[in-house]
Amino acid sequence: MSDVLARMAEAVIEGHVEVMEELTQEALDEGLTAKEILDQGLMPGMDHVGVEFKAGNMFVPEVLRSAKAMKESMKIVQPLLTSADIESKGRILIGTVKGDLHDIGKNLVGMMCEGAGFDVKDLGTDVDSDVFLGEIKSWEPHLIGMSALLTTTMRAMGDTVKALEEAGLRDRVKVMVGGAPVTQRFADEIGADGYAANAAAAADLARALIGRA
Amino acid sequence: MDSGLRTQCVPQYRLLTGSQIREIHRTSLEVLETIGVRVAHEEGARLLEGAGCRAKEGDVFQIPNWLVEEAIGSAPSRITIYSQEGEEAMRLGGRNIHFGLGTDLVTAYDLNTGEMRDSELRDVSNAARVADYCEDIDFVASMALPHDVPTNMMYVECVKAQLENSTKPVFFTAAGREDLSVILELAAAVSGGEKALAERPFLIHYSEPTAPLRHSRGALSKLFLCAERGIPICYTPGDMLGASTPITLAGGVVQANAEALSGIVLHQLKSKGAPIITGFALGPLDMKTGIFAYGAPEFRLTNSAFADLYHYYDLPIWSTVGTDAHALDEQAAMEHAIATLMAALDGSNLIHDAGYLGQGLLSNPATIVMSDEIISFVKRLLRGFEMDRERLAVDAIRRVGPGGDFLSDDHTYEHFRREQWQPKLLNRDDPDTWLSKGGKRYEEVLTDKTLEILATHEPRPLPRSVQDRLDEIVHRAEAELADLHFEA
Repeated sequence: MSDVLARMAEAVIEGHVEVMEELTQEALDEGLTAKEILDQGLMPGMDHVGVEFKAGNMFVPEVLRSAKAMKESMKIVQPLLTSADIESKGRILIGTVKGDLHDIGKNLVGMMCEGAGFDVKDLGTDVDSDVFLGEIKSWEPHLIGMSALLTTTMRAMGDTVKALEEAGLRDRVKVMVGGAPVTQRFADEIGADGYAANAAAAADLARALIGRA
Repeated sequence: MDSGLRTQCVPQYRLLTGSQIREIHRTSLEVLETIGVRVAHEEGARLLEGAGCRAKEGDVFQIPNWLVEEAIGSAPSRITIYSQEGEEAMRLGGRNIHFGLGTDLVTAYDLNTGEMRDSELRDVSNAARVADYCEDIDFVASMALPHDVPTNMMYVECVKAQLENSTKPVFFTAAGREDLSVILELAAAVSGGEKALAERPFLIHYSEPTAPLRHSRGALSKLFLCAERGIPICYTPGDMLGASTPITLAGGVVQANAEALSGIVLHQLKSKGAPIITGFALGPLDMKTGIFAYGAPEFRLTNSAFADLYHYYDLPIWSTVGTDAHALDEQAAMEHAIATLMAALDGSNLIHDAGYLGQGLLSNPATIVMSDEIISFVKRLLRGFEMDRERLAVDAIRRVGPGGDFLSDDHTYEHFRREQWQPKLLNRDDPDTWLSKGGKRYEEVLTDKTLEILATHEPRPLPRSVQDRLDEIVHRAEAELADLHFEA
């Protein structure tokens, strides 16, 4: 492996946001491709972060700093990726469901999934089933992730799954759900494909469900 | 207390000094005046604008200091809450402490099967019955979010189940203005009319702004409905240090206080003098697991800080106890005991989530029985002891003298009942007796007692006419609320 890629992985792990631009440029100057930078520099770094986080050796703010470092490099790398490179990852659509304005956990899931190499689109909070449906048709995500913090609103996830079925779109996307009050039982009950208890687990689940990144 | 004749020796605890309180207060005012809060409600926006607040970026309002001070001044310093039968039950204000249950736990530990399962309506009824029995639990709350009733009827059914299984005050949540109205109708049926209910309120609505610094349309609809009807409301932000507020405890307290104070402003603008209970739940987002850590020491510190602040404001204070343990185990006992003691030392008035388990996700009615015992213990501690000539007991010491014993002395007979606290269930048997009674761990004792309460304790039945009226209201609401989407 090129030395610069190893240094990039290390910088991602350490969360050295400020050196990423320079390292990325150095890698490109050496003639490395965008895909090589992503697959052999950034992703190994983020994978390591994921393992350390799950082992309890890294904390959420550190993981987010690592994701930020990766993003800094992606600003340069992203436009250079071919459509085939991008296609190899997978698209994830996320949102907090109708009636709920709580988005901290959902944002974390988005950042973790981005860190895992997925293309993530965030619809924000208080997202109606129709909005999910419209985006599924136009953006064609491989997976949708829904969250709720309120016990009153978690059932809106079930409404969205039902709407997907009615619109004949259920087979086209995988569905994962999460949020403090959500349980595996609840996920099973509403017919979601998976439930993750935290943001790191959500990124793993996404990998398992769509197996692209 | 020291009159020179008799003094009361009591544990006293304050976290903040007077100048620290004023520093936090000033800084919260600075946040409100220079940053402001988002208000997603037309009437709320109109009220703020009319009162002289500056609108920034459309729905963000900057609230001038004087308006906050005015709202602190007009909100009542004392709120009396009654039992469902109209007797005085809680005086919220000063350093009076009252403990009670919490709302909306999604999972229940089934005492009969030993399984964790989705919460059901019977869990609400069971919690209310157990709490009705427990002397040191002053108010009930749903404890469960029932999965076996239609979604839009969850909160209505919860309140009805509590009315049917307890006479204690009810602390409750609602999804929106619509089901809140139905719940108030149920309450009025028990009180004997809306007017009687407003005069002797036995229920407190629990609603929240959305951190950071936002008042949602749904929350304000409920806040305003309670303000209009004179129904006490507990409007308290739930914040996570490092996620929805700064990570530093001081910064978190400043921001959460700004959220709470802006709630008081909106509430008092709607109806000056209407009853509101304030506080905030500001605990750490655990940076390893991402959960809101109920049992954390930082959570106790922020609770103490706002208790000191709201004593300074002379406004009724809400507070929280709880644990991160998923079983009624040593961790649950430790975290509940520390939290209960600290909340009592804080002098918070309406302390909720007694009997909570699992980071506010899990219920087990036996935990209520444990909380009841911890509260009793803590109340004894807070009572301290009295000191006067009789209690300094020089006469008794003289009577018994060197080498005697006090057991048979009159002084012991006269005083032992008041001086000595007796546990309800904690073990004080000697080892052999303990073994001969089955050698039960405390958890088993709690579980057995809870099953006994559930088998034998009969709450007062509602009068037939009231029960019929409740059934009728719920039946009608099922149709009315069926297809409704509550506002976010």
